[in-house]
Amino acid sequence: MLVTWRYRPRRSLIQSFDPRAWLIFFFCFMASSLMFWDLRFLLPLLLIALVTILTSGITWRESRRAWLFIGGFVLFFALLTFLTGRGGVEHYAQEHLITTLRAPFTLLGWRPRVDVTVERTMFACSQLVRVFSVASMTILIPYSLDPTLYGITFRGLGLPDKIAYAMELTMRFIPTYARDFQLTLDAQRARGYELEKLRGGLFAQVRKLAPLIVPVTIHAIAASEDIIDAMDLRAFGVGPRTWLQQLRYRRRDRVLIVLAVMLVVASAALSLVGYSRLWVPAWALAWAGG
Amino acid sequence: MDRRLISVVGALVAVLVFFLLIVWIGGAINDSLKLDETALLRFLFVIIGLLIVFGVYWFTRSSGVWEVGTRQVVYMAIGAALYAVFSYLFNGTVFAVPSVSQVALRPAIAIPMFFGYAFGPAVGFFTGAVGNMFGDALTGFGLSPQWSVGNGLVGMIAGMAQLFPNKKKGINVVLIVSAVLAAIGVLFYALNTGQANMMFFDPDQGIFGDATITWFAGLSVLIGFVLVLIVRFAFGQNIDVASAVTWSMLGNLLGIGFAAISDIWINGFPLAVAIVGEFLPAAGPNLIFAAILVPILVAAYAAVQRQTGR
Repeated sequence: MLVTWRYRPRRSLIQSFDPRAWLIFFFCFMASSLMFWDLRFLLPLLLIALVTILTSGITWRESRRAWLFIGGFVLFFALLTFLTGRGGVEHYAQEHLITTLRAPFTLLGWRPRVDVTVERTMFACSQLVRVFSVASMTILIPYSLDPTLYGITFRGLGLPDKIAYAMELTMRFIPTYARDFQLTLDAQRARGYELEKLRGGLFAQVRKLAPLIVPVTIHAIAASEDIIDAMDLRAFGVGPRTWLQQLRYRRRDRVLIVLAVMLVVASAALSLVGYSRLWVPAWALAWAGG
Repeated sequence: MDRRLISVVGALVAVLVFFLLIVWIGGAINDSLKLDETALLRFLFVIIGLLIVFGVYWFTRSSGVWEVGTRQVVYMAIGAALYAVFSYLFNGTVFAVPSVSQVALRPAIAIPMFFGYAFGPAVGFFTGAVGNMFGDALTGFGLSPQWSVGNGLVGMIAGMAQLFPNKKKGINVVLIVSAVLAAIGVLFYALNTGQANMMFFDPDQGIFGDATITWFAGLSVLIGFVLVLIVRFAFGQNIDVASAVTWSMLGNLLGIGFAAISDIWINGFPLAVAIVGEFLPAAGPNLIFAAILVPILVAAYAAVQRQTGR
């Protein structure tokens, strides 16, 4: 049995567009975000993401788990960057110290300390904005893309029939296998299996994962015979495929695609002339005594 | 070659040439006109990776291994979905993934290897590339398309086993090539033992990819290679298991190698950092997981095949 994502028809900005147009916009948006570390260019992108989220019509109740997960993930990475300065080293050569925080305790004679510098703070902020924009736009997609349109959407984006259908099946299988994994985990737990307490060395631990991975995989392959039979009975892949639903670009979809292409071209041009690097405001440097 | 393929390859080559022109000619005219090191270059390496795939396809197209029928379409989808789900579950954010000596338990890589070996290179490539893409999207990692292509190569190369009608001969060639690659990796480790392991994160201990690589992680490629060798000879009778683990090993070394080496340009890593900090701690543990899980999957699948008679 297939389990689906939590799509339902909503009156929202994102669902008022053709799904192909929205995916093109999404990929252009993601490519543009990835080109910049400069907060001045990342903030407008964040604004686009926020408008999309707030007009998406997805309630907090439906998407609570996804947002908590993304929120935890984004904060964790920003904090990690801030505490260690890791990841930023490629972006700035010199750091201007604001203050040094010292822990009020020592661990075996070592006092944990954090150097708060202008560059590190700016880098952490930029990363927070960047990761949040991309992650939040990504999680909106399963909520707002009609599962009956997956195949024709990928076909419409230029993929061959078979690959478009494989993409459609992939998106449909993901929630199903997540459910199967949970069922298998519960069944194995009822037999005394404990994922949280894997003992032994690395080799023993890997071997102990087999009771989870093998049943889920083999069941998926064995159960696929029904799908293969159903597809063969309908002569899948014999001739050019027709799709039950048709998609037509309207004016607003064309406008969105043009805007998306302009966004990515402008971002690429700006990044080529050197506006993509980390931006540190001059007043902050002056304030830090730089 | 049919016309669609010509147009796809033509477009890829055109984009590649365009990028190279910007880098070389543009850079010579105007100093500030350089490719941004993090974003645009990723796409360049995706194109290089796809051209490698097309090249391999072109030279082996006369054999039937690239055929995509109903069965392959469904297996592609199953493989990609399973890979996405497992990499999401075991990336350390859902379960607390245990780690032994800087090697975290990330068993998902066995999926593209097994699907590639069992169902051919096309299924393997789709499983690795699309599965990695969806897995990253589920986690919210954004996009590292060069790693998606690298994972696709892992599955594709595992599927190249079907090109050799004489499995024993294929295994021997693969073992020799892999031994050379593993030896190069170990040599790099021996020359750079102080390098940080950039794939290892443990927030509880305050380690964020900056701890010095342990000897276990540094030598994990060698350990994995020995493990594969043991499986190959212990299952000498079952040529399927032996062939699956050895080809998976080669796929892993070349696919992850492609992604790590592309980071030399993308993230500006020196060669030693890319190999010792990224390639060894990613590819070595993968080999260990493959050597243990791929044989179990191959044996279980053989039992299903016997039962259903397919």
